[in-house]
Amino acid sequence: MESNAGTTETRSNLTASDGGEVTAFESLQFTDKIHRLILAPTTDNASSFTALLELPPPQAVELLHSPDSPKLIAASPPNVEVFEGSFRFPSNTGLIERDARFSVFSGEANNSNEKRNSPESKNVIANLEKNVKTEPAETESSQPTVEKRSIKRKNRENKVKGSTKKSKTAANESSEDAEKLPYVHVRARRGQATDSHSLAERARREKINARMKLLQELVPGCNKISGTALVLDEIINHVQSLQRQVEFLSMKLAAVNPRIDFNLDSVFTSESGGSLMDSNFPSLVMPAMWPEVQGNGHTQQYQHQWHLDALQQPVWGREEVCNNYITPENSLLTYDSSANSATLQANQLKMEL
Amino acid sequence: MNKYNPDRMNPSSLRSRFTTRFLRNLSKIHAQKPSSSSSPAEIFRRYRRIKVAADKSMAYSVRSRRTWSRAMLWKLRTRPCSTSIRKTRHEKQNKNRTTTATTGEDRVGFGVEADELRELVPGGEAMDLCNLLHETAHYIKCLTTQVQVMKKIADFYSP
Repeated sequence: MESNAGTTETRSNLTASDGGEVTAFESLQFTDKIHRLILAPTTDNASSFTALLELPPPQAVELLHSPDSPKLIAASPPNVEVFEGSFRFPSNTGLIERDARFSVFSGEANNSNEKRNSPESKNVIANLEKNVKTEPAETESSQPTVEKRSIKRKNRENKVKGSTKKSKTAANESSEDAEKLPYVHVRARRGQATDSHSLAERARREKINARMKLLQELVPGCNKISGTALVLDEIINHVQSLQRQVEFLSMKLAAVNPRIDFNLDSVFTSESGGSLMDSNFPSLVMPAMWPEVQGNGHTQQYQHQWHLDALQQPVWGREEVCNNYITPENSLLTYDSSANSATLQANQLKMEL
Repeated sequence: MNKYNPDRMNPSSLRSRFTTRFLRNLSKIHAQKPSSSSSPAEIFRRYRRIKVAADKSMAYSVRSRRTWSRAMLWKLRTRPCSTSIRKTRHEKQNKNRTTTATTGEDRVGFGVEADELRELVPGGEAMDLCNLLHETAHYIKCLTTQVQVMKKIADFYSP
């Protein structure tokens, strides 16, 4: 109820903006269309107003004409194909009349509004003829059938017509759900089947295509390839090459003879707060041959993240210096200083990384 | 101060987490063996261990947020110690998943390649195509990070 009130308010605003001058000609057009609506398809599936009203066609037309004719004439049939997902039946006749009036005024210019209005205006007519109190039960019972029939008509019109109107086909499922559950709005394009299975499949396919696009962006050189099979082949090749690269690099790292003793455990723990770092401080402070390194490194920076925010220019310079120092270390220096150099080198590595 | 270290920008990024763990494991491996040996067998053994360490660090960096990392962690855990209990329980789960995973519609058009991809991505056998693509994207991203980090380490320690 509330959503309908909201939509009716918007529609009333639009009526003000559109300017509601109903010419007699327009009303005649609509009555002609109504005639066609009522008389033509009664034979096949009785999905017209008359089924709703349970009256023979001419009397229905009379009923249409009896009150203010512009108000009650529904939107033109060619645009009937679309349904809004959730239907709320207004029991407030004032709102109903406003809806009907707007549906007449908007004509064929405003498809989206008509889409909203057409089902409700149909029900409007039914409501106004019957007692307002009894309408909810009856209209809700008749509404699913009406929807289904009109959906069938919509399907036919979809295939027949040359227009490019899109229809919301979630009404199929929503009519059974009856405005309870949220659902996905899927637009069925012209000529496509609208049953729930194909809808779900189409949604899946679109999801898969979206993910394929992401993958294409990830894998270099995949953008130019068209065709999903080739793209998949390219992706497979890329994954294989990456795995092989990992293997190759690990082989390389195994073969590298670490000239320094790796003692990086204690230094590389960023999670363990300050305690481990404190234990490192004396060892780092000790060696006299690395004075420039200790300049800014070892204070609180270790505590949080142990990626140094040291400057890069000294890093490059330091690297060369360190390399010169490495080889003598292996032979001459003791474990402590080798550990220090290892930690310092690890720092530099971190900085590079 | 300019921050040249990209890992400092986001210390909890995948790259920095992986780097931390991997370096730690690497140092452990290097500390275990005597540094003088360079026989091929020794190197091969080390290589296996380093490879495992790399995969393990990557999987641990991702935790259980992705299916492939969970599958990889499970594989790493059950490989050394083959306890029958764990295997049968997990195999049952895998079987349940495989029966429900692939529908006829998904197979159409992607049959051969999807199976190959499933073999490549850990844990891919029990996923439908949609999730498989999602996992593949994340797996590729993690693999590239791994390769970059390892490349930098290798370049650093070799002359």
